[in-house]
Amino acid sequence: MNIREKFGRAAAVDGLPIALALIVVIAYFSIASPFFMTGENIRNLLMQSIFTILLAAGMTFVLISGGIDLSVGSATGLSAAVTLLVLMNGGTLAAGIAAGVATGAAIGAINGFFIAVLGINAFIVTLASLSIGAGALQVLTSEVQLTGVDSPGFAALTKASILGIPAGLWVTLAIVAILEWILLATPLGRGFFAMGTNRQAAFLAGTNVRRLELGVYLISGTVAGTAGVLLASHLNSVQPGLGQGYEFTAIAAAVLGGIALFGGRGSVWRSVVGALFLATLSQGLQLTGVDPLWFNIVTGTSIVAAVALDRGVQHFVIGRLTSPPKQGTRSGPPPEGPATGAESDEEASVPVSTLSAARNV
Amino acid sequence: MAMTSKTGVAGAQFGRLLQNPSSGALALVAVLAVAMSMAFPAFPTGTNAGNIANQMVFVVLLALGMTVVLITGGIDLSVGSVMGLSAGIGAYTITTGVPLFLGLLAAVAAGGFLGFINGLLITRLGLPDFIATLAMLGVARGVLFLWTNGVPLTGYMLPEYYIISGLEQPFGFLTVPMLLAIAAVLAVGLLLKATGFGRHAYGIGSNPQAALLSGVPVNRIKVTAYVISGLTAGVAGMLMAGRTMTVAPTMGIGFELSAIAAAVIGGAALTGGRGTAFGALTGALVLSITANAINISGVSSAWQQVVIGAVLLLAVVFDRVSSLLRERSARLRIKPVHV
Repeated sequence: MNIREKFGRAAAVDGLPIALALIVVIAYFSIASPFFMTGENIRNLLMQSIFTILLAAGMTFVLISGGIDLSVGSATGLSAAVTLLVLMNGGTLAAGIAAGVATGAAIGAINGFFIAVLGINAFIVTLASLSIGAGALQVLTSEVQLTGVDSPGFAALTKASILGIPAGLWVTLAIVAILEWILLATPLGRGFFAMGTNRQAAFLAGTNVRRLELGVYLISGTVAGTAGVLLASHLNSVQPGLGQGYEFTAIAAAVLGGIALFGGRGSVWRSVVGALFLATLSQGLQLTGVDPLWFNIVTGTSIVAAVALDRGVQHFVIGRLTSPPKQGTRSGPPPEGPATGAESDEEASVPVSTLSAARNV
Repeated sequence: MAMTSKTGVAGAQFGRLLQNPSSGALALVAVLAVAMSMAFPAFPTGTNAGNIANQMVFVVLLALGMTVVLITGGIDLSVGSVMGLSAGIGAYTITTGVPLFLGLLAAVAAGGFLGFINGLLITRLGLPDFIATLAMLGVARGVLFLWTNGVPLTGYMLPEYYIISGLEQPFGFLTVPMLLAIAAVLAVGLLLKATGFGRHAYGIGSNPQAALLSGVPVNRIKVTAYVISGLTAGVAGMLMAGRTMTVAPTMGIGFELSAIAAAVIGGAALTGGRGTAFGALTGALVLSITANAINISGVSSAWQQVVIGAVLLLAVVFDRVSSLLRERSARLRIKPVHV
């Protein structure tokens, strides 16, 4: 086994590259800035990243099932606003939290209805609900000032310290654990994977694909609603435009974690590591005095690098799995064969099917 | 496409109208225009029509490029950022003292170049279209912010620029941007309907595997589609720099959503293989008339995003219904063969 093979094997372990990348950036910033490895800074970093972590965890379900949800950012913002609105009008703490989570769930259910029941493209439906949600937040905030409430219980939701760790982190940790359990240990989770790997096959095998799809957007919406409640507790005020762009960070985090945009691959913890990587990078760049304007560029480039690396590794794995490719076994149409796929110049459209085939091996 | 239905010619014609992807958008435009004209006398005036036309040129241009990309089965999320960065490069070039047309050319060329990079990332590195252009969205915006340090660029407004950007109207109603937009619609329409590129683009979008197997240069066509999208974003940026007389580093944020919405309302499908230049125009018209109607009727502009989202949803639901009708009539036509 030569170096290249060893590297290829290590990199092919799902989630290892991004975990290593996270360790590298943490190590770098710890050396570069004396303030990075302080308890206060770590706590800030984690508290700021819980919203991305939650959204990325919800996005994981959507991406695994082969869909996309662009509306999570505005769902978060709107849910935060609804929570504050209920609390400011004298609602109890439970009512406020329930209203916020329900807002997110409702947006998810509407998305799911149009996508799963009417069969409309997920990108367009969630783009429309992104617009509607952000607009509704703007309308709401132009009518009332959502400046916050004096509710110790509500603030404690994120700020109370349990065993030295803020409550918001505990909540996030619990939700992430539940989501990972659903994904990996329940029939529901297996259904999501089956649907994302091969929708037609899942349908033919008797899976209720429509109900699963509805469930995916419901999960994503509900998680966004929960993130909104936590965000409202964290900020204790809501401005128009809150949550804007969160969907892109969530997608970026999931993709950095090696989750395929075509469905069928992924896990919650890898998205979480992706989200932590982005948060660490952002915080670290600021601490080391780099212009925060660099952040966009670094994020964009790291996404490209992550996906390109993932693709290269997949090529390597397929090469290993299918060698020796001496005689064409004609297991599929010629361009799908691994040998021709690797040599052909026109390979852009090929790997999707090849990858999903290799994943199942 | 002869449709011999026994239920009568009128029914068949109506059915065919329903099946045309951009007829939904046109119907929406007609209904909105009639309703607004009856409710607000300020709506059906020449001045207001000029306003709408002047406002919509940017989205028309972006939607044209987006339509070409969507037809090949891709998506370009970077157009808003590319528009901003191109505008910045154009404005900066003019301030260095070169002739105006060189500055404008620089803006358009920058757009085309960024589109070319998108195309390379997608075809050479094999990145998904969504990811590559999402990264470009971040990087191009980041470069603009970093380069300008967050300070708007100014001081590039030469006298001729006022005419080119439509701030001065030497030809009465028509402005240069309107003429440019019309020319772009015609050019893209011709490109899609009357050239090998167009046929190949539809082919790739409908069935990439089949297109590849039948010898279509898939990569070249895809790269060209992204270059076209970048070029239209460059032209839009060049016009907007003139219109706003200053290039803020936030210029063009969110325009990718309008462009996608306009293209989709006009009948382009994210699954590829569908869309027309005329559809992009009608889609942009729907968005502009909606925004204008909200302004004129005095509704808080906060509602604008809600309404645009609802219109987009309405358009795709209509499209879904019409495609179901298409499938049904296709089945009806096939039936006699089996009998």
